[in-house]
Amino acid sequence: MIKIENLHVEVDGNQILKGINLEVKAGETHAIMGPNGSGKSTLAQVIAGHEDYEVTQGKVEYLNKDLLEMDVDERACEGVFLAFQYPVELPGVNNTYFLKSALNAQRKYRGEKEIDAMEFMDLISDKIKLLNLKDSLLKRPVNEGFSGGEKKRNEIFQMAILEPKLALLDETDSGLDIDALRIVARGVNTMRKKENAIIIVTHYQRLLNYIVPDFVHVLVDGKIISSGDKNLALELEEKGYDRIIKEAKA
Amino acid sequence: MKAKNAFADDFESTLTLSNGKIKDLRIKAFEEFSKVGIPTNKDEFWKYSDPSVILNLDFEFNDTGSTDEDDYDVVLVNGKIVKSVNNCKTGTIADGLLEGYLDENILGYKENPFMNLNNAFAINGCYIILEPNTENEIRILNLITNEGRQQAVYPKFAIVAGKNSNSSIFEEIRIIGKGCNFVNSVMDFIIEDGAILEHTILDDFAEDTYHIANIWVKQGKDSNFISHNFSAGKRLARRDFNVELLETGANCELNGVYLVDGDNHIDHHTTIEHKKSNCTSNEHYKGILDGNSRGIFNGRIHVHPDAQKTDAIQNNQNLLLSDNAIIHTKPELEIYADDVKCTHGATVGQLDDKAMFYLRTRGINKKDARQLLMRAYVGEIIGKINNEKIRTEMMETVLERLPKGGE
Ligand SMILES: Nc1ncnc2c1ncn2[C@@H]1O[C@H](COP(=O)(O)OP(=O)(O)OP(=O)(O)O)[C@@H](O)[C@H]1O
Ligand SMILES: [Mg+2]
Repeated sequence: MIKIENLHVEVDGNQILKGINLEVKAGETHAIMGPNGSGKSTLAQVIAGHEDYEVTQGKVEYLNKDLLEMDVDERACEGVFLAFQYPVELPGVNNTYFLKSALNAQRKYRGEKEIDAMEFMDLISDKIKLLNLKDSLLKRPVNEGFSGGEKKRNEIFQMAILEPKLALLDETDSGLDIDALRIVARGVNTMRKKENAIIIVTHYQRLLNYIVPDFVHVLVDGKIISSGDKNLALELEEKGYDRIIKEAKA
Repeated sequence: MKAKNAFADDFESTLTLSNGKIKDLRIKAFEEFSKVGIPTNKDEFWKYSDPSVILNLDFEFNDTGSTDEDDYDVVLVNGKIVKSVNNCKTGTIADGLLEGYLDENILGYKENPFMNLNNAFAINGCYIILEPNTENEIRILNLITNEGRQQAVYPKFAIVAGKNSNSSIFEEIRIIGKGCNFVNSVMDFIIEDGAILEHTILDDFAEDTYHIANIWVKQGKDSNFISHNFSAGKRLARRDFNVELLETGANCELNGVYLVDGDNHIDHHTTIEHKKSNCTSNEHYKGILDGNSRGIFNGRIHVHPDAQKTDAIQNNQNLLLSDNAIIHTKPELEIYADDVKCTHGATVGQLDDKAMFYLRTRGINKKDARQLLMRAYVGEIIGKINNEKIRTEMMETVLERLPKGGE
């Protein structure tokens, strides 16, 4: 689904990603772990199309197209979804209106007609139950005044409505209580289908008990230094980054 | 035209249109105007909006014109009443004075030369008396039509909100036709004790127009004045609000949105005079400026020594969509009482990059994302309109007029 080759990325002249290679096939779930500041969010933002990040080398192929050539919104319409580590507050933008605009923009892109009001309300009420969110959040401005956990759940709620092909979840588990973690995992697992792929950025093995990954990668200082199956996450938990880094160097 | 005797011929030729007391008041007003004439930008008060440019044109008084617009209770065409409500006491300003519904002060000396000039030409105009303890909804069309002349028009309103009345007044200023306009308009409000008056102004973009407007408000005890001002750029547009909180417990709310692009201009000067204790004022103006446009916001809050327990808030926010657009924003606080809460803030910025990115990662294209953010920005002000019908109408009309720029 997505193939990242030798990706180098700079921001404000600082080299952040220093040659990332990663291939994620349809149906797979990959977890990316790594110390603070190692470049995990940068990778996620670059895939989503953030213009502050400059790709200086390498390429990214998504569904046989050059992802880096596409606009941010075009990527989204082609099925790329980023659940933000820090979801953005949009004062004055009603949550329901926002969801409907986004969904219709994507439908329009695919040549479908706008969703009718009834169908949309049904979809919303389905997904809001799935994420166990309060109805009142729908009437409020997007993310404004939402609690940390509500923001994270709102990201997954959006994902559930937009039904992307490739979902990037950037620390969606941070700040969630134990019940919310299970709810979010349930939401994510409903989109694990053979035609979809998921990349999860996380610091905690705990989430991976609920969303069991096919592959785990360790990102350190802009490079993937080690890859393995779900056991790599357990090993990391046990040994910490220092030893994994040393072992990788050896 | 020369600054000092500007409009003199014009004035002479219209003098025969009135007589007796009204004529005397007009002559006096014109004398006051002629003492200073049309100010220039050397005057601090007119620093960024030089009205002396109108002296380069030969504006001639006009009050003729017609319309078949029917969706309004009161219609003024080029300053002259062509339709008026029949469930309120109303008529020309002259009649209002002669019949004793208006005080002579209405045509008395004002500090602003344009108000004196307006008084000098106050032949037509319209007064409305909102009776005490009544509820009223009035829709006004203030229409300027031009058949290709350089015309000067002087719309004038005097509105008295009687004790404990509760009214919503919607005023649409529409400028149509060709030619060039000098519009010098004045709206006087007298809001008596306990009255509530919500005033919404909608005005549209007009290229060949110099518009100088003054809204003058006097508030009684425990009265409320709530203003929503949606204004668009002109070649020169200057709109001043002067609100006097004359008795205790008076509250005013001034909300505004200005949208300006191209080579156009928009200037708001607001003054709130806190004269007595326990009054509140809450002002929130937002602007969106595009192209080579220029905007000015000057918000003065004057707290007099007797105005203890004043609570005044002022906020001016601006979005600059282009590198060539300019905004001058300035709060002016003069506080002569000690037990006062007074806050002000001004911001100038662009559309939030983070918000733009977030919207786009959901599939919304750049143009639509910009519209969405601008709608939210302006929607906050429109949302403050209490009258539901007008709020809904403004949500449509004003949001329709947001800059459409794709970049
Ligand atoms: N806009 C920017 N300007 C300068 N430096 C930046 C910018 N964005 C990211 N960086 C730097 O790039 C590095 C990688 O940041 P990134 O957010 O990708 O880390 P991360 O792996 O997601 O960390 P965390 O686990 O703390 O979320 C950090 O050192 C960060 O300070
Ligand atoms: Mg991060």
